[in-house]
Amino acid sequence: MPRLELLATLEGHQDRVWQASWHPTKTILATCSGDKTVRLWTPASHNDFTQWQCIDTLEGAHKRTVRSVAWSPTGNEMATASFDATTGIWEHDAREKDWECVATLEGHENEIKSVAWSSTGALLATCSRDKSVWIWEVESDNDFECLSVLQEHTQDVKMVAWHPKQEVLASASYDDTIKIWKEDEDDWYCADTLQGHSSTVWSIDFNADGDHIVSGSDDQTLRIWKMYSPNNAEGIATPNGEAVWKTVCTLSGMHDRCVYSVSWSKVHNHIASASGDNSLRIFEKDEENLDGNAPTWSSVATINDAHGVHDINCVSWFPNETHGDWLASVGDDGMVRIWRLVQDD
Amino acid sequence: MSTNLINANPTVYNTKTFSREETEAELDDDIEDPIDADEVFDLIRSISDPEHPLTLEQLNVTQNQHINVNNSKNQILIEFTPTIPHCSMATLIGLCIRVRLLRSLPERYKVDIRVRQGTHQSEGAVNKQLNDKERVAAALENNHLLEVVNQCLATANLRGREVTSH
Repeated sequence: MPRLELLATLEGHQDRVWQASWHPTKTILATCSGDKTVRLWTPASHNDFTQWQCIDTLEGAHKRTVRSVAWSPTGNEMATASFDATTGIWEHDAREKDWECVATLEGHENEIKSVAWSSTGALLATCSRDKSVWIWEVESDNDFECLSVLQEHTQDVKMVAWHPKQEVLASASYDDTIKIWKEDEDDWYCADTLQGHSSTVWSIDFNADGDHIVSGSDDQTLRIWKMYSPNNAEGIATPNGEAVWKTVCTLSGMHDRCVYSVSWSKVHNHIASASGDNSLRIFEKDEENLDGNAPTWSSVATINDAHGVHDINCVSWFPNETHGDWLASVGDDGMVRIWRLVQDD
Repeated sequence: MSTNLINANPTVYNTKTFSREETEAELDDDIEDPIDADEVFDLIRSISDPEHPLTLEQLNVTQNQHINVNNSKNQILIEFTPTIPHCSMATLIGLCIRVRLLRSLPERYKVDIRVRQGTHQSEGAVNKQLNDKERVAAALENNHLLEVVNQCLATANLRGREVTSH
């Protein structure tokens, strides 16, 4: 059975930490907090991953909590979403060796909850307590044009996540649903609404191929959703000629309180979850089960009190092979932790 | 008194019915006293109502028998009773209770705050909002709202004692 081993604890934030986001290629972790800053962390040396340092603190651009931070696919830019209703765009200045806020995107009526870049870096999505999802086009010279304002959620939108390969967006909401958004000749529309959770959906993540989504909810469960394209072999109806998503697995009884975050490793397919019950869990797909329409997943590792008595707000797998076994977690204790998934024989 | 109050003439209850008895064990420093429902009640009983110069105890909004403390699980459930079923202040009252407990209880407790079943017409919506920590965090960054909350909490440390005349 695999287990999680604590590599390092990163101290520095002055308030609860909301999200952790790995650089797409380098060993840099960005974390954002109620202290209105983003901190960048990196190991102190190339051969000792137990010592980490804070190499930069991005501050001054947001007047309130920074709720979400996302790297562009090149890692040269970062976007920050804040309760102050703005999105900050940051660029690395190689000469000054620091990060500069080069643009501020305005438009949402109140708190922005999440920001995400599409896989090509051409689009940016934001979502807010104002119930809307905005899609922005990234133009040259740090210019961002709002392409679409999507207003079909009936409540606070908690998170947006892009498909790993296509320009397909998923959003999760306080209205208990997940929505899938697609483009049709410059017009964005809701292609499917995923119903099943009985309370707020806090977090969503695609698998490596983008044909499955995992979601975590206040109803204390995780759900795994599978996409069925038109003319699928299973005979699942696709009434509007659109792919439909169905729950193929529900993981319940694993967490005693709200599931705040889920992360699906693109490297080794494990799912990690973080909860208000103070625990971190790792799930593995049962490979003996060959029924793709009713897969079973097992909890294979658990860390109770991973951030002491505090809620854990986010978990995030390292995005590529280099350190695919690394998992970052952040909590209400203001701490950032790096864990390593160890496979025992 | 202005006429646009949500509940202009609330029933006022006698607060003398509850006083916390100190047991011998509590006076002995060598014995650990776990936090109990009475102690949590004592923390929130004197929070002021947002629109009346009365405490939550005087309005019967909070009662010690509607507080459940589970020390082995570090969980506290508080159920409160809005004075009227359409009270638009219910969320604010719940927020005041939450902030008071955030500030006074050990961090290990997970606190759930709900309106008592059947006492509010938007029970589900109020409960959901009060227990969404992200929305609570955002609300507390709103200076106007924080000021209102702090006003309601200004009397909270009376812990059942009478307000002395101004």
